[in-house]
Amino acid sequence: MAITEVERRRGQLAALSIAAVVIIVGVPLWWRTTETYRAWLPVSQIKDLAKLQLHLSADVEVVFARGTVTPEQQKKVPLTQTQDEEHTVDGDLLMQFMILRSQNMKPARSFDSQTFFPEDTTLRYRYETKYRTATIMEEDALKKPTAAEADLSLHMLSESPCGSLVVYVIPESSSLLPEDVNVYIGQRRTALVRISAQMRVGKTLEQLLAQLEPQIKQVLQVMSFSHTDITVALSDRVRFRPGNKESIADSMRAFKSSPGYEITFSLLNPDPKSHQLHWDIEGAVQTYIQPLLTKLSPLANFSMDSQTLYYTMLGVTPRFDSSFEAYTLNADSLAHVINPVEARLGSNAASSNPVLNFLLYVPDIRHSPLYIHDHRKQEVPSNAFHSPRWGGIMVYNVNGFYGSETEFPVHVNINMAKVMGVFLAQLRLLLGVQSLSPPPGFLVAPCGSTGLADWELDRLMWSRSVENIATATTTITSLAQLLDQIGNIVINDNIAQQVSSAVTSLQLAMAELEVGNLGFALQYSKEAILASEKAFFDPSLLHLLYFPDDQKFAIYIPLFLPMCVPILLSMLKIVSEARQRRREKQAKKE
Amino acid sequence: MAAPLTLLLIVAVTIRAALFRSSLAELIAERVEVVSPITAWKRVVEGLALLDLGVSPYSGDVFHETPLIIYMFHFLVDYAEITFMTFVFGALCVCICFFFIYLSLMPFQFRKQKFALEADRYPMDSLELIRSPKEMYYVPLKVAMFYLLNPFTILSCVAKSTCGLNNAVLALFFLSTIKGNVLLSAIFLCLATYQSIYPITLCAPAMLYFMQRQYIPVNFHRVSFWWFIVQYLFMYLGSLFVLICLSFFLLGSWDYLPSVYGFILSVPDLTPNIGLFWYFFAEMFEHFRLFFLCVFQINVFFYTIPLSIKLKEHPVFLIFMQLAVISIFKSYPTVGDVALYLAFLPVWSHLHRFLRNIFLVSCVLLACSALFPVLWHLWIYAGSANSNFYYAITLLFNVAQILLVSDYFYAFLRREHHLTNGLYLKRKDGSEATLILK
Repeated sequence: MAITEVERRRGQLAALSIAAVVIIVGVPLWWRTTETYRAWLPVSQIKDLAKLQLHLSADVEVVFARGTVTPEQQKKVPLTQTQDEEHTVDGDLLMQFMILRSQNMKPARSFDSQTFFPEDTTLRYRYETKYRTATIMEEDALKKPTAAEADLSLHMLSESPCGSLVVYVIPESSSLLPEDVNVYIGQRRTALVRISAQMRVGKTLEQLLAQLEPQIKQVLQVMSFSHTDITVALSDRVRFRPGNKESIADSMRAFKSSPGYEITFSLLNPDPKSHQLHWDIEGAVQTYIQPLLTKLSPLANFSMDSQTLYYTMLGVTPRFDSSFEAYTLNADSLAHVINPVEARLGSNAASSNPVLNFLLYVPDIRHSPLYIHDHRKQEVPSNAFHSPRWGGIMVYNVNGFYGSETEFPVHVNINMAKVMGVFLAQLRLLLGVQSLSPPPGFLVAPCGSTGLADWELDRLMWSRSVENIATATTTITSLAQLLDQIGNIVINDNIAQQVSSAVTSLQLAMAELEVGNLGFALQYSKEAILASEKAFFDPSLLHLLYFPDDQKFAIYIPLFLPMCVPILLSMLKIVSEARQRRREKQAKKE
Repeated sequence: MAAPLTLLLIVAVTIRAALFRSSLAELIAERVEVVSPITAWKRVVEGLALLDLGVSPYSGDVFHETPLIIYMFHFLVDYAEITFMTFVFGALCVCICFFFIYLSLMPFQFRKQKFALEADRYPMDSLELIRSPKEMYYVPLKVAMFYLLNPFTILSCVAKSTCGLNNAVLALFFLSTIKGNVLLSAIFLCLATYQSIYPITLCAPAMLYFMQRQYIPVNFHRVSFWWFIVQYLFMYLGSLFVLICLSFFLLGSWDYLPSVYGFILSVPDLTPNIGLFWYFFAEMFEHFRLFFLCVFQINVFFYTIPLSIKLKEHPVFLIFMQLAVISIFKSYPTVGDVALYLAFLPVWSHLHRFLRNIFLVSCVLLACSALFPVLWHLWIYAGSANSNFYYAITLLFNVAQILLVSDYFYAFLRREHHLTNGLYLKRKDGSEATLILK
C-alpha cells in the first residue's frame, strides 16, 4: 500500500511540474513573443497636419527706374508692403483618394476620414513687396538696346534667390520694349513693366502704386504661383473644380509629382529591310535633354535609356488620303496607336518611378509618307502627338531619301535636332511646365538653351512642393487612421521612425514655404513624401492585419488543446483529492 | 555466443560494403530521411574543401557540423577508404557498446531482483514476471542485431551520415554510465551535447543512475545528494568548457556557435525531413514564429522533469525514454536517430505481455517507412502530390513513434505495479479488479 501511495504522489508531482513549467516558462514566453508591438507615433502632430494650412509667401522686389517716379515721390517710397490673401478650400472629398502611381501593393486608401480628422485646407498667400529705386548699375543695364540684353545684365548684377521676383518699372520713354508690349518677362526671375504716361502724371505715389498693383499682380500670376496652380496641385486632397476645359486638360496632362522619373526613347523601325536607321541618341540627349534635366534636378531624379525596336507597327493602319498624296492618321485614331506598341516597349522593372516614353516612328515604305491630322483635318506641323501621363510619339518620314534607283536598305541619318525639338516640347508639357498663353500686352522671352526659364522652374517648384506636401499629409493621416482603427497592426520602430521623419519634414517644408525658402521647402517635401510612402507601403504592416482574435484561437487550439486537456484534468483531480482529504480530516475530528 | 555474434558482424559489414560499392550509395546519401542538413556527408565535404582553401568552413551556410568533426575528417580525409571505414566503425562501435551495456546491466538487475526476492517484497503470483538469466541470455545478441541489421542504421551508414558518430558517442556514454565511471560518463555526455545540444537532458538519468548505484538517496535535504550533483555538473561543465575552447582554438573564431547551435535551435533550414518542424514553420505566420519555435524547442526538454520524477528508480528506462523523445522532437531528425532508441527495444522484451498496440504501431512504422520515398517521388518528381502528402506521412510516423514509446512507458509502469501488487489483482471483495492507469 505504501508503495502505491508513493507512486501516486509521484504522478501528482510529475503533473504539478508540468503545470509549473507551463505557467512559469510558457505564459511569459507567450506574452513576450506574441505581443503586438506598437511603436509610438506622433498622433497629435498628425492630427494637426490633417488640417492643412499652407502659407505661401513670395518676395517681390519692385524697382523703379529713373524717370518713373519724381524725386518727391521717391522720398516717400515705402520700404515694404505685404499683401495677404486667404482661401479656404473645402476638403470633403478625401475619401476617394487612391494612389495610382505606385505599382506595388495597393491597399485602398479610402477611409471615412471626417470622423477622425476634420479636413480642411486653408491656403494663405502672402506677397512681400519691397520697393526701391534702381541703382546706377541697374540703370546702366536698363539702357541696353534690347530687353534680352538688359535681362542678362540685370541677372549678372544680382542673382535673386529661388522663388523671388524682381520687377523693374521702366519709364514709358524706354526703348527696351516694342510699342504694343507693356510687360516683358525675362529668362530669369526678372520682369520689366512699362509704366504708361497717364499713370504717372500728376498723381501721388499711393495712386501710382495702386495703379501699378494689378499689373504686378498679373506678373506674379505668370511668374510665380497662381491660385489655380495651387488648387490643381492639391487635387489629390480637395476636389478640383476647374473653370474651363483647358485647365482640366492642363491638370491631367502632366505627370504626378514623383521623386524620380524614367525617360525612355524608342526608335521604332517597322521595316528594317528598307530602312537602316541611325540615330545619335546619346549625343542628342546630351545636347538637348540633359540641360533641361540638369535644371530640373532639384525636382526629381531622372534616368534615361534608349532602344531600337524592329518590326513594331502602330496599332492603326493609316489611310491613304489622295488629296494630300500621303497616308494620314486621324486625331480620333491616335488613341488606338499606343496600346499595341506599349506591350513591346518594356520597362525598367527595378524601379517604381513613372516612365515617360518618347517614340520615334519611321513608317514603313508602303505607308510612307505618313502625316498626322488634327480634328480640323489639317496637317500637324510637328507630325507628333503626346498622350497625357504617358509620353509622346513622333512620326519621322524618310521618303525624301527614296530616289528612282536607290538600293534598299536606305541608310538614313535621323536629324536629331528636329526630333529633339519636338520631344523637348513634349517633355516640358508632360513634366508640368505650363506654357500658358500670357495675358495681352505681355512678352515672354524665349527660353534659352536650357529649355526652361528660371521662373518656370520656380512655378514648377511651387506647385510640386504643395503637391508633395498634400500627398504626404494625406498618406500620413490615412496611415495614422488605419493604425488607429486596426489595433492588430504591428508598428515596428522603423515605421515609427519613418512616420516621425515624414511629419518633421512636412512641418519643416511648411515652415520653409511660409518663410519663402522655396528650395528648402521642395527638398523637405520630397523627403516627406519618400518617408511617408515608405511607411505606408512597408510590408511589415500587413503581417497581422488579417488576424482577428477568433483566428488567433484557431492558431493556438490545434497545438495546445491536446496538450492542455490532460494537464487540466490531472490538476482537477489533485484539487479534488486534496479537498476530499480535508473533508476526511474534518470528519475524523468530529 | 561468440560465434553468432561474429557471424552477425560479418553479415552487417558485408551488407554495408556491398551497398557502399553499389550505385545505390549516392541515391541514399541524397535522401532527406537519411541525412539532415547537419549530418549530410556532402556538406562535410564542402566544409573540408573550404577548410583546405583557408576559409572558415562556416562561411556560406552549408556546413553545420561541429569543429571537432571537421578537424577529425580533415585528418582522415587523405585516406578515402578510411573515411568509409570510419562510418562502419561508428556503427560497429555503437553495437559493441550496446553489447557491453547489456552485459554489465544484467548482473546489476539480478542483484536488485535477488535482493527484493530475499526481502519477500514481491507477491508470489508475480514470480512469473521476474526475468530469468536464461531468457536474458540472448538479449545482448538481439540488441546487436536490432542495431546492426536495422535498415535505418544501414541506410544511415551507407549515406555516411555523421549521425553514426553521434550515436557512437551516446553509446560510449551509456557504457561508461552503466560501468559506473562517473568521469568518463560526464565526458561522453558532454561530447554528445557538444554534437547536438539535446543530449543535455540525459544528465538527469545519468545522475539518478549513479546515485542509485552509490546508494545516495534522492533527497533534497541531504548534503550528499547535492554534493554528488555538484561533482557531476562540475565534470560535465568543465569538459564542455574545454571542448568549446578547443573548438575556438582550432578554428580561431566563434563562427561555429551561431552556425551549429543557432542552426539547431532557430531551425532556418526547412528542408522536408521526418521531423515535425519543417512543415509547421513553413506554414507558420511570421508573427508567431518565435513563439512556436520556443514551444517546439522547449517541448524537447520539457519531459525531463516529469519523467525523472516518475521514473526516479529506473534510470536506464529513463535514458531510453529520453532518447526516444529527443529523436522524435528534435529539429533535424533522421532515421539514424530513430535506430538508436529502437536498438533498446530487445532490452525491454519482458514488457511484451503488457504492450497493447505494438502490432498496429509496427505496421504503421513499416508502412510509413515504405511510403516516405513513394510520396517524395510523387511530390518532387511526378508532381502529382504535394507537400501535405509527405507531411501527413511524417506526422503519422511520429504519432506511431509516440504511441510506441508511450506504450512501452505504460507497460513498464504496469509491470512495476504488478511486481509489487501481484499479477492478478483482487478487489477487497475478491472480484477481479481492472487496473486504471493514471
